[in-house]
Amino acid sequence: MSQPSQPNQLIYFAAAFGAGGLLSLMVLFNGTLAAYGSLFFASWVPHLTGTVAALIFLVFLRPKRAQQARPPWWVYLGGVSGAVTVMLTSATLNSALALSGTIALGLAGQMVFSLFADMRGLFGLPQRTPVRRDYVALMFIIAGSLILIFFGSGS
Amino acid sequence: MIWFATLAILAGVLVSLSRQINGRLALSTSAMESSFWNHIVGLVFITGVALLVGGLFAGEPEASPWWAYLGGPIGVIFIAAGSWLIARIGAAQTALLIIAGQMISGVLLDIIMGAPGNLWARTLGVALIMAGMWVAHGGKKSS
Repeated sequence: MSQPSQPNQLIYFAAAFGAGGLLSLMVLFNGTLAAYGSLFFASWVPHLTGTVAALIFLVFLRPKRAQQARPPWWVYLGGVSGAVTVMLTSATLNSALALSGTIALGLAGQMVFSLFADMRGLFGLPQRTPVRRDYVALMFIIAGSLILIFFGSGS
Repeated sequence: MIWFATLAILAGVLVSLSRQINGRLALSTSAMESSFWNHIVGLVFITGVALLVGGLFAGEPEASPWWAYLGGPIGVIFIAAGSWLIARIGAAQTALLIIAGQMISGVLLDIIMGAPGNLWARTLGVALIMAGMWVAHGGKKSS
């Protein structure tokens, strides 16, 4: 993040912003499933259909593998971390935190840990030192998000 | 309350942790392959927990609209995108831009679906997020 902005930077921006849009759709679709079935069902179904969809993508796109070397064993556990997240948030949604508190505290946890991971280069990912511009951007985006979370919906 | 707040913060930490681990897997394989492993390992884990706890098919899941089942394929692209991005722009910027996209598209979805909302808060929130993205993209060369 400390490198100067390059033309590709715009592609990354668009991809990340678009991924955020996909996340909104996921929340809507999976939340609708949870309204009819159990919370387990609402997480189990997208994992099942997602596994099938990923297989189809892999068969048709045949993406090149980056390295022949075997990665460490723990790289396959990202899905466990994601599944536990669903269980934690379904617990906090029904507490006094409700949806807004769950999202707001989740954003805080996500940003603090992401910054820490960047500074230390955790899990074999590139190490990066955030610069002042990154913190200014962070403050704007988090402030705007908190306003939307707490005041944007409802009356 | 403190207990639930800790759980909510931990959930956010795990979102970032999951993206880092998947990103590391993508470095050795590909973004789509990391998304595949994320989904199949998550599926096995949830199936195991659901079998222990029970109630997977409680309620009336068959009554939900068909489009509610589309979350899976969308999630595959979402996880692949995160794995691809994190090695290129870092964990913090990936998280921040995804949050920006989620928040702004959330407002659009709310408006489309006719959800009640405060116009001023929505306008201010979206404006602040867009200003933040402009800064992140180098609008202010202060570094």
